[in-house]
Amino acid sequence: MTRKQRRLTMIGGALVVLGIAIALVLNALRDSIVFFSTPQMVAEKHIPAGKRFRLGGLVEPGSLVRGDHMAVTFKIADGSNALSVAYKGILPDLFREGQGVVAEGALDSSGVFKADTVLAKHDETYMPKDVADALKKQGHWKDDYEKAGKKPDGDAKPMQGASR
Amino acid sequence: MSLWFLLALMTVGAIFAVLWPLSRRTDVKREGRESAVYQDQLAEIDRDIANGLIGETEGAAARVEISRRLLAAADAEEGSTVSSRLRLRRAVAMVALIGVPVLAGALYLHLGSPALPDFPLTSRARAPVPGQSLDQLVAQVQTHLEKNPTDGRGWSVLAPVLGRLGRFDDAAQAFRNAIRYDGDNAARRAGLGEALAGAANGVVTAEAKAEFERAVALDADEPKARYFLGVAAEQDGRPKEAAALWQDMLSKAPPDAPWRPVLEAALARVGAAVPAPSDSASAKIPALSNDTIASVQGMSEGDRGAMIRGMVDRLAARLKQNGDDVEGWLRLARAYMVLKEPDNARAARDDARRALAANEDGLRKLNEGLKALGIDG
Amino acid sequence: MIAEAGHYALVLALALALIQSTVPMIGARLRDPVLMNVARSTALAQLLFVGLSFGALVLLHVISDFSVANVYENSHSLKPLIYKITGVWGNHEGSMLLWVSILALFGGLVALFGNNLPLSLRANALGVQGWVSTAFYLFILLTSNPFLRLVNPPLEGRDLNPVLQDPGLAIHPPMLYLGYVGFSISFSFAIAALIEGRIDAAWARWVRPWTLMAWMFLTLGIAMGSYWAYYELGWGGWWFWDPVENASLMPWLAGTALLHSAVVMEKRNALKVWTVLLAILTFSLSLLGTFLVRSGVLTSVHAFATDPTRGVFILLILCVFIGGSLSLYAWRASSLKQGGLFAPISREGALVLNNLLLTTACATVFIGTLYPLGLEVLTGERISVGAPFFNLTFAPLFVPLLLALPFGPLLAWKRGDIAGAAQRLYAAGIVALVSIAVLWAWVRGGSAFAPLAIGLAVFVIIGALTDIAERSMLFRMPLSIALRRARGLPRASWGTMFAHVGVGVALIGIVCETTWNTELISTLKPGDVAKVAGYELKLDDISQRQGPNFGEMLAHFTVSEGGKMIGVMTPSKRSFSTRAMSTTEAALMSRGVSQLYISLGDTAASGAIAVRIYHKPMVLLIWFGPLLMAFGGLLSLSDRRLRVGAPKPAKASRSLQPAE
Repeated sequence: MTRKQRRLTMIGGALVVLGIAIALVLNALRDSIVFFSTPQMVAEKHIPAGKRFRLGGLVEPGSLVRGDHMAVTFKIADGSNALSVAYKGILPDLFREGQGVVAEGALDSSGVFKADTVLAKHDETYMPKDVADALKKQGHWKDDYEKAGKKPDGDAKPMQGASR
Repeated sequence: MSLWFLLALMTVGAIFAVLWPLSRRTDVKREGRESAVYQDQLAEIDRDIANGLIGETEGAAARVEISRRLLAAADAEEGSTVSSRLRLRRAVAMVALIGVPVLAGALYLHLGSPALPDFPLTSRARAPVPGQSLDQLVAQVQTHLEKNPTDGRGWSVLAPVLGRLGRFDDAAQAFRNAIRYDGDNAARRAGLGEALAGAANGVVTAEAKAEFERAVALDADEPKARYFLGVAAEQDGRPKEAAALWQDMLSKAPPDAPWRPVLEAALARVGAAVPAPSDSASAKIPALSNDTIASVQGMSEGDRGAMIRGMVDRLAARLKQNGDDVEGWLRLARAYMVLKEPDNARAARDDARRALAANEDGLRKLNEGLKALGIDG
Repeated sequence: MIAEAGHYALVLALALALIQSTVPMIGARLRDPVLMNVARSTALAQLLFVGLSFGALVLLHVISDFSVANVYENSHSLKPLIYKITGVWGNHEGSMLLWVSILALFGGLVALFGNNLPLSLRANALGVQGWVSTAFYLFILLTSNPFLRLVNPPLEGRDLNPVLQDPGLAIHPPMLYLGYVGFSISFSFAIAALIEGRIDAAWARWVRPWTLMAWMFLTLGIAMGSYWAYYELGWGGWWFWDPVENASLMPWLAGTALLHSAVVMEKRNALKVWTVLLAILTFSLSLLGTFLVRSGVLTSVHAFATDPTRGVFILLILCVFIGGSLSLYAWRASSLKQGGLFAPISREGALVLNNLLLTTACATVFIGTLYPLGLEVLTGERISVGAPFFNLTFAPLFVPLLLALPFGPLLAWKRGDIAGAAQRLYAAGIVALVSIAVLWAWVRGGSAFAPLAIGLAVFVIIGALTDIAERSMLFRMPLSIALRRARGLPRASWGTMFAHVGVGVALIGIVCETTWNTELISTLKPGDVAKVAGYELKLDDISQRQGPNFGEMLAHFTVSEGGKMIGVMTPSKRSFSTRAMSTTEAALMSRGVSQLYISLGDTAASGAIAVRIYHKPMVLLIWFGPLLMAFGGLLSLSDRRLRVGAPKPAKASRSLQPAE
């Protein structure tokens, strides 16, 4: 093999790998991306049942109902709208009414959000960025959350999650 | 050893680190060279051949390749020249001598606070600082309670204070602990409910309501719980029910009950009649407590303003007549801050200082309180 | 005085870094050895002063001096001593100080042990190191100063966060930082080589031990972080493809590639331009990792500081270092001479393939991590890229990598014999196929890919062992000779074997855990029995206990297998009385390398308690793998070849003269 042929083989091989990688990335990006919504966005846009997305907001005080076999329902609200969420499993330690959460799942045919993952914030001083941004946009931003982001917290994993 | 001496010592050390190599001759021959690496690689090839890890022919090829590199490296090393720039070295020495202390000193004086003494825990425990602020006292009590979490009395003392400081979540927890370790009573349940409502920005949540209901179950006349049950009814859209409850409270209330004006204002808010007071209630100026302010936060903006405004004006008028009341002044200043009228707050501060000029103790307390409000300037 | 002295020491370190970043480089340009040698003493003095500064901060945390804002905000007089110390780097300011301390430590090490380096290369490399230090000192002093004081010191500190009081969390960040910052050395060497315009096989040998050291620490740091998440977060996950985790994985992938390409460069003087680029990219990814975590720009399950001045400063540092070094690379790379030739099928070719796949995998992680950020900036739409994305892109790229892995060490340099290598891998291939067949027949349930993946892992492991067996001529020579030969093999060969076996071991753990993990979520009353994966777990009772500053609810489980009791497990839930907060303490029981895992949920009114029970087969292998890899790194590091020409070059080189 001449020097040129060798180089061409190498470049060809590299291009093949890159091509495969790009195809994989594009394919995965199409299928596995999850959008973030707030209850208001859900109300405005029609999201088809069964499409996965993340729902963020505050757990509406007084809405948490525990059923049998660890089924729970609660409402996630963002100040203008609220959406019922059904979840089965153990909620994270830090899940509390009136506080920010992000749930991942899909709407069912009756418009209830079936969550399979619930993430709760770490403590009073932190709110999931998604939620904070969404609330800010809608003008429901409160000063206490503002302080939230400013507390450095080390390399902790301050969010807690639960998923089935 | 004083701080300045230590800093000077460190500066000398830093300057020395720069000057030291400048003062020494460097033997370039003793420095590492590329050729050493290639020589080692050649030796390695020999070892590998001896161990049979690579074949003779491969080894020979590799040896040729490495030798070529070795020659090139040796050539480059031969060709490298060494120069000495005495003027540049002197310039570097000057930079070290002058630049390092000047830069370090200037930056440090800009950022540091050399005048502040250390304040470690041990010295703090021995010498309590006079004139501790409320926050510090609370911190002390909390420290005590971290160690003795079952001290119910401690919790019951701390809980209302936390509520007044606006730390509602902590207050709620403290009330719960007080109930757990020091017994249940109506006032604590009501306090817990209030803290919960405070934490929800004045909204009487289901959780808070449950506490108020428990309080009323324990003591049917607990005023705070009854008032908030009214607020709950109002927030649920049943103002009539709320009004009936409050009217009932007012009619039974003693004429000097401090919460009378709150109820009156609440009734005015829902547009209900205020039952005639059995006595002139306004004879005694009501306390404009934080509780009241907190409870008012649940109201609509206009109502809240009007209500607070009325109470604040009354308080101001009273203090104008009788100025020897530190708590009163602080309450007034705080109220102005809540109303977002810092100018008025500052005016009240000046009035207060004037009125309390003769009262040294009071003045000190006042200044502390003002500090907590952030208008101590 | 402690605080002020520490503060001043930090300022002095900045002044020294400024000198270190200019004088030696001027010296190298003008070929003045005295000026070049300034690099050494300033690097050591810088280490001394930043060490003093860090020590002062540790001391301030230990004595709880709340007149220092950083201590007040992040400590509490009641914390146990160990957490007072680890709390130093549990916050933004302290962790940045730790970062520069480690940077200075590596600089100091190069100054101390860099005797084998040519003077100008050492001067230039330490100069570049000085630039990085300068930028970080300025960042710390101007935007994140840990020594700022409070005029009216409060009586008690603010932080007693129970979740952060954990030994795993205490050691994990320093490990990661040792890895991140260690790559700064290869970066500095790369930039120095670009400045000098000359790079050779020797360069690779000088850089390799530093890269290896950084890589080891990063490997351990990542593994430790993963184990921490596993036992502390209470839901048994060990890798979440969270941006913060990705931030540490990217430099690891690039660093692994760098490690391999440096071998090619050292042995064959080839891939020089590529190796330099990798060195730059690896450290750039480390910087990015540090800052992605620190600036909190990512939508992450991590809460971090957001501060506009800091953010701008961070962006500035990233732009200057990444942009600057890549520009320098574009400008100077063409002046570097091309080196040795090799056929596509050869040891070099295999390592190129390794590099290609590793960097591509790194790129996909990069895209998955930063795509949401870019999309939000461009369109305002918010998305999250979760685990499925990474599983779909990362895994397919790793399959060919692992398939090719056993071939690499068996191929000869320059021109390899693939048929010969394949022949020697017959045994490995057969064992792998047999294990696939056995698994297929034996195991019910789970993905059909799982036995294949395990077969691949077995292939990798046996393949790595084959390499050593071949070299020591095991089975071809009498055992005693083979053993003696094995002892005589370079330690680097053994290191390679352990690292490659570690990859296979970790893969087995990952596949088994994800495929045959059993999970049971249920509510139990005292006396109830839960059955998971052949184990019976009986909830005996639930008791309360009072800890030093928390109340604890313990659930006692008796675990039995086939009617025989094998142990007790006591998961618990702690509630911290003073701050209305609770943490879940999972209980783990190891059975071989598998684990049972119980964590508690809420108690129902009826007295029943929600529990999650997992059986995680082979889960411990996930962390044994990286341990093996790091051990392999350690073996390679101890190889005498990497210390060539160390302290006494004159004598050593004479004795190494080949006898011709």
